[in-house]
Amino acid sequence: MTSQVFGPLRPFVALGLVRALMPLFALLVIVPMALAQSEAPTVHGVAPLPDDRPVPHGLLPPGAPNPDTGPSSVIYPTQHVAIRFDHAKHLGREIGATCKTCHPGATTSRRASDRLTPGGEVCDRCHSTDHSNLALVKSGDAAMGQCATCHQGYRPEDGNRVAPLELPRANLVFDHKSHADRNIGCAQCHGAVAEIELATRDQLPRMSGCLRCHQAPDPASLGGAKSACETCHLAGPSGTARIQTMFPSGTLRPPRWLHNAEHTPDFIERHKSVAADDSGFCANCHKEDFCTDCHDGRTRPRDIHPNDYLNMHAIEARMNTERCTSCHQQQSFCLDCHLRVGVAESSPPNAKDSGRFHPPKSIWSDPPRKPGSHGFEAERNLNACVSCHTERDCVACHGALGVGGGFDPHTSGFVGRCATQFNRNPRPCFVCHEPGDAVLSQCR
Amino acid sequence: MTTRFVQRAAGRAAFGAMLVGMDARALDGDVTADSVAQFYDVTSPTGQVLLERRRLTATLGLGAYDLLGTAEGDPHAADLSIRMRVRYDADYGAPSATSDPTIFGSIVPGFAPQAVDLMYFYLEGRRFGGGWLGFKLGRQYVTDVLGWWSFDGGEVSVTTPYYLKAEAYGGLEQRGGMPLSTSRFEADGVWRGDRTGFEPLLYPEFQPAEVAPALGVALESVGLTWIHGRLTYRRVYDTGPSTVSEFPDGSNPGVYDRTRISSERLGYAVDANLAAIGAVKAGIVYDFYRAEITSAYASLDGYLGKRLTVSTDYDYYLPTFDGDSIWNFFAGEPRSDLGLRANVDIDRRLSVAGNAHARVSTVQTAPFDPGGGFVSSPSPNSAGGYYPTNGHPFDEGGNVSARWHSGETRIAAHASGDFGSEGDRVGGDVSAEQVIETRYMVGGRAGLWQWKDDLRPDRAATGFQYVANVGYRFDPRCRGSFEWEHDFNGLVGQRFRFMFLLSLDMGKLPQRTRETAQQ
Repeated sequence: MTSQVFGPLRPFVALGLVRALMPLFALLVIVPMALAQSEAPTVHGVAPLPDDRPVPHGLLPPGAPNPDTGPSSVIYPTQHVAIRFDHAKHLGREIGATCKTCHPGATTSRRASDRLTPGGEVCDRCHSTDHSNLALVKSGDAAMGQCATCHQGYRPEDGNRVAPLELPRANLVFDHKSHADRNIGCAQCHGAVAEIELATRDQLPRMSGCLRCHQAPDPASLGGAKSACETCHLAGPSGTARIQTMFPSGTLRPPRWLHNAEHTPDFIERHKSVAADDSGFCANCHKEDFCTDCHDGRTRPRDIHPNDYLNMHAIEARMNTERCTSCHQQQSFCLDCHLRVGVAESSPPNAKDSGRFHPPKSIWSDPPRKPGSHGFEAERNLNACVSCHTERDCVACHGALGVGGGFDPHTSGFVGRCATQFNRNPRPCFVCHEPGDAVLSQCR
Repeated sequence: MTTRFVQRAAGRAAFGAMLVGMDARALDGDVTADSVAQFYDVTSPTGQVLLERRRLTATLGLGAYDLLGTAEGDPHAADLSIRMRVRYDADYGAPSATSDPTIFGSIVPGFAPQAVDLMYFYLEGRRFGGGWLGFKLGRQYVTDVLGWWSFDGGEVSVTTPYYLKAEAYGGLEQRGGMPLSTSRFEADGVWRGDRTGFEPLLYPEFQPAEVAPALGVALESVGLTWIHGRLTYRRVYDTGPSTVSEFPDGSNPGVYDRTRISSERLGYAVDANLAAIGAVKAGIVYDFYRAEITSAYASLDGYLGKRLTVSTDYDYYLPTFDGDSIWNFFAGEPRSDLGLRANVDIDRRLSVAGNAHARVSTVQTAPFDPGGGFVSSPSPNSAGGYYPTNGHPFDEGGNVSARWHSGETRIAAHASGDFGSEGDRVGGDVSAEQVIETRYMVGGRAGLWQWKDDLRPDRAATGFQYVANVGYRFDPRCRGSFEWEHDFNGLVGQRFRFMFLLSLDMGKLPQRTRETAQQ
């Protein structure tokens, strides 16, 4: 019998190993994996500092974590920068350029999709080159006018061809002008670009840095630095959520530091605490249909109900019924089906009989009460009873006039606080007690 | 009748408003349609087919957006939109007699073989009155610590510049048995529905559905992204006649029909985050009808490095029911769950999470009076009839989940075990999905689970399942697929399930796509 019951898992279950090790397994596996892994550095093309040294954290944009893994690759798709450029040198005393010298559009641009990186003609001013005709670029006479000075990997035999610069546009809404008009300097969002050589994706603004200012209530605040998601994120297409989350570069998901709503593999089990507190936060990315698919769905979500759940769900339902109630109304969803399959006591006579559900009568309802009797099971998990029984089933014995003569189902101390319930809704009292019943006077 | 009239009038008005909005500017709306056909049998533990389910579920969604013609993407401008979704859910395998109240031997009260419900239908206004005012009119959802809830009515919110938002709403709770409604959102514990055609003595415990007035208020913080809290209160009334004499003997009135409390609860939820340290989340619900706390939870998360998060969780739950339900008065005991949780983002593609938890129940675990035989409690004095608890049994368990994704490929694995005096469930699933050449979809799942029933040892079984599906993606938002499921169960035998799914979404393209097209 035992082998039939446990099947292939018998050796583990029989020895109790699974039971003993399961709670420890998660932590014992996860922690070593975390410590053992290291993430590959993000490839930029050309390094921001000589010898590919990492950019010191103090030079990164505000909000960059330490250690830094770079900005979101969904918001800022991966770049390939084939240009050699030394910001520190150009912005230093020797040359004395400013940010606007090469990026004049940075103070007037109103869209994140505007290209603000300078064209070659900006370089022509000092490098004696001529980029006016990109089909026939002329190099300068001096060493710093040679193509290879700036174009990484350029060889003389390449002629007019250089490695392309791949700078995908940011998937953001951003108004440089409104920030510049408020005297927000470049470094406040981009970090200390003046102290590094090449500015890579790592110098692009980080969301947590933006939120240092963008903390104003939306939409009634007088200030402009609102925290509403659509202030910076692209609006979603009609019919979807408020912001767009699907891009060719990937799917946008919340970071850990925002409501701790990182969509980890176990988020389905803990999303309740995020949605219960701030469902509006969820609504930025999800519309109602996303919730209804599970919480009011008609198709079984297998991530939640695995395996042959239809036949075996009773076992989990008795262990974990409050989770059932988060999606299922027991006196309709559960009861409807239990009536139809003949497992409920109120099933119609013509329903097919699916057999006795409860343990044998000798355990379930016969005296003396013992572990496994229905009274104890009801105390432990009253929801499970409600998924099959109608109130009439219980009143038959527990009602004051019931066939059992009134096996009192009330909790300890019930008389002391029943007045509150009686005053608010006496209807359930009258199901078991006559309105004139003297005992009700204790609750009136 | 009045309710039906109001719903019809509201529906016509909203639909008219939608058409007016569409006329005012170029169409900015969308149409979504999902259709799922499922074919499977429900069998008894002996393998006998109990139900032949031939199901079709179809939803149709309509939306009209930006009805005021404000600048697109302007987060400061007033905005008006309409959204609706209606659902048809049919089981063609159900005999017609199950819904015919004249056939006593077959009628299943409350069961609707071809149900139609309006999932939501509302007009929403945002950022009116200089940004202060928002509103929703129609059938809508409210989601907070009091649960996921739906009502027909209106909601008004005032968002102030002082990090505070106030919200008030009122209307009728969505209840099963009412037109175009489901019972999903009403408090549990009352078997309630449409009694049209029922004789009075046919299932008298099946209560007639009546309108349920509801009102609520909430205060919520806004703006700050590192902390958020919401204080919420809601009251729902039961109205109309309710049968209380289910064993008629002519000695009591039989029906109670005064307006009374269905539920009245106050809840608060909060979360706070410090980016480099961790987060705290907590919530609590006080039930005025039960006059006690019925739900509480808290979690504490610690960010250990940039990839590892460790957490502790606590969850308290006490079963509660509609004010009309007798089960509020039964000795249902609370449960407390304690857990440890961890998540690791191993790299950008692979994440692993796991937890271990224990559940404490407060129940009697030994005979109440081993030497005295059965002790009944004929006395209506509750104190004398209560069986005191004498045990705090622990259930325990844990799970591990992993997810790997790269481009259009996703692989997930999940294993869990739950062990207790009720039974055990242990096993795992592996699933994979891939989109090939952006349009061909293939996927599969396999799982092996052991179900052990301690109360009914003969119902324990080992089950193996595999699922295979193929599909075609017409565009990123339209797809069709077919799914095959095969279950092997040592108890029931083999079962099959076939599912066809068609999902269509016609609306404006994403903003980025439009920009590209314009250039």
